[in-house]
Amino acid sequence: MIQLNDLEIGYSGKKGPVSVFKHLSSVFNPGDLVGLMGDNGIGKSTLLKTMTGTIKALSGQILLDGKSIDRYTAAELAQYLSIVITEKIGGFNLTAWDVVASGRTPYINLFGKLEQRDKDIIETSLEKLNLLPLKDKLMDELSDGQRQKVMIAKSLAQQTPVIILDEPTAFLDYNSKHRLFKVLKELCEKENKLIIVSSHDLDLMTVYINRSLTLLEGNVAEIR
Amino acid sequence: MTQGKFIFNTICLLVLVLLLTAADLCFGSISLFSLSPDDPLFSNILYDFRLPKTLTCILAGSALSICGLLMQSLFRNPLAGPYVLGVSSGASLFVAVATMLLTSLNISGVFFVGKGIITLFSIAGAFFVTLIILMVSKKSKSNVTILLVGLMLSQILGASQGLIEYISSPDSLKTFVMWSMGSVGGTTLSDLRFVAPLTLILLGLGFCLIKPMNAILLNEQYAQNLGVNIHRLRISVIVITSILVGLITAFCGPIAFVGISVPIASRLFFKTSHHLHQMVFCILIGAIVMLTADIICQGISNQFTLPINTVTTLIGSPIVIYLLFRSKLNIG
Repeated sequence: MIQLNDLEIGYSGKKGPVSVFKHLSSVFNPGDLVGLMGDNGIGKSTLLKTMTGTIKALSGQILLDGKSIDRYTAAELAQYLSIVITEKIGGFNLTAWDVVASGRTPYINLFGKLEQRDKDIIETSLEKLNLLPLKDKLMDELSDGQRQKVMIAKSLAQQTPVIILDEPTAFLDYNSKHRLFKVLKELCEKENKLIIVSSHDLDLMTVYINRSLTLLEGNVAEIR
Repeated sequence: MTQGKFIFNTICLLVLVLLLTAADLCFGSISLFSLSPDDPLFSNILYDFRLPKTLTCILAGSALSICGLLMQSLFRNPLAGPYVLGVSSGASLFVAVATMLLTSLNISGVFFVGKGIITLFSIAGAFFVTLIILMVSKKSKSNVTILLVGLMLSQILGASQGLIEYISSPDSLKTFVMWSMGSVGGTTLSDLRFVAPLTLILLGLGFCLIKPMNAILLNEQYAQNLGVNIHRLRISVIVITSILVGLITAFCGPIAFVGISVPIASRLFFKTSHHLHQMVFCILIGAIVMLTADIICQGISNQFTLPINTVTTLIGSPIVIYLLFRSKLNIG
């Protein structure tokens, strides 16, 4: 469960902190597929980065299962929430398997050794997204849609109750977008995961999501 | 890469290292086979000259390759390496300053003081440049910018070094020019008592970074989300690479292209991204490249020995050119 209490988000500028959005309060529960909407520059990505602990909140609180995000260690946070972002991953001989296996980072030893249990979880994560035939393919050989699915499989391998996706449909065609949202909806329904996804595809989002958070001008947040 | 394949490849490379080690020890201007083991010249050549040189080759090749690998993964750029990013030039400039100081103070010959000061200066120079490159990489995400800044730094440091050479005395100039050509022959067994354990400890510390280095291949944001402390990782890589590059440069001179080309060659041949595999392969291939370069250096002629930098450049450059022509290659 994620709880936002009178949250103010922003970033540090040259002349001190710059507030992007404030007075944001909401609660998201396991099983929710939350659509985060709003115009460009309104603060969607800043909010997601704050919720993942990448940047600090200017004021207010983010509670993860009742405990402030600031009190989580990096390792604990890695086991609580995982991210999928738009930046393309590739090069360095990275295969789909390697990327999904990286999801096990919070659980494995110093030398990156995968135990049989880790390998089983990776296989299952790939299987859930129908990626097993592509597991040995290099990331650079995959389509944008397949690549996004690999990143979601990485999140599954990370075994976090919360998954946060920033603009996952940005480079996808119409059919791939629908397939992606179907996968997300299934994960919420079958595995009781809390998934928060930002996107500009409002029509598409409204078909699949069961909660929405829309950021509007003047620090107005519309929560449904 | 499966466990079996990894072990098989490691054994193959290890056998090659052992064969080249034997060749490097046996052959040179005088072949050891032409001498009797009882001949004092035999033990003199083997223990006082060949053995320290061969061990230096192995240590230098392994250390520089690991530095290249760590830098390429941290910057997520296959063209990163201690020589290309100006880290070796930083060490060189500081060594030039140290050489001049030591000669003017007339203490270069004092046992260990001279080499100790040169080593400290060399490490400080490498650390200084690595820190600048890291600050640039935080400001700019562009790989091209980082490489260009590294290139410009190399030029600035090279010009500053030229200036120091211009105003330095003939004695210190001669010492420095000989050093800057790169040589593995100047290290003694007593030097190795200090260099070898330090190199091995730093290589060992490199192995402790396997897990975060694997994660950072995705990108920094993903790595952070996977529990990696990016700040700590950066500092660790700076400390390890600066000390290793500084140490090796102090004793062997600036050695070109090993740091950049060995990790690339390892990725080309073994098609793996896992840093456990990459580190083991880089250590062994680095040793192979340096031993081969040394064998070539002394095998060309009985009359003279080529500077090792010439040979490493001749081996390393084609690999980098190959990379540029195969832009679709999945190495970075």
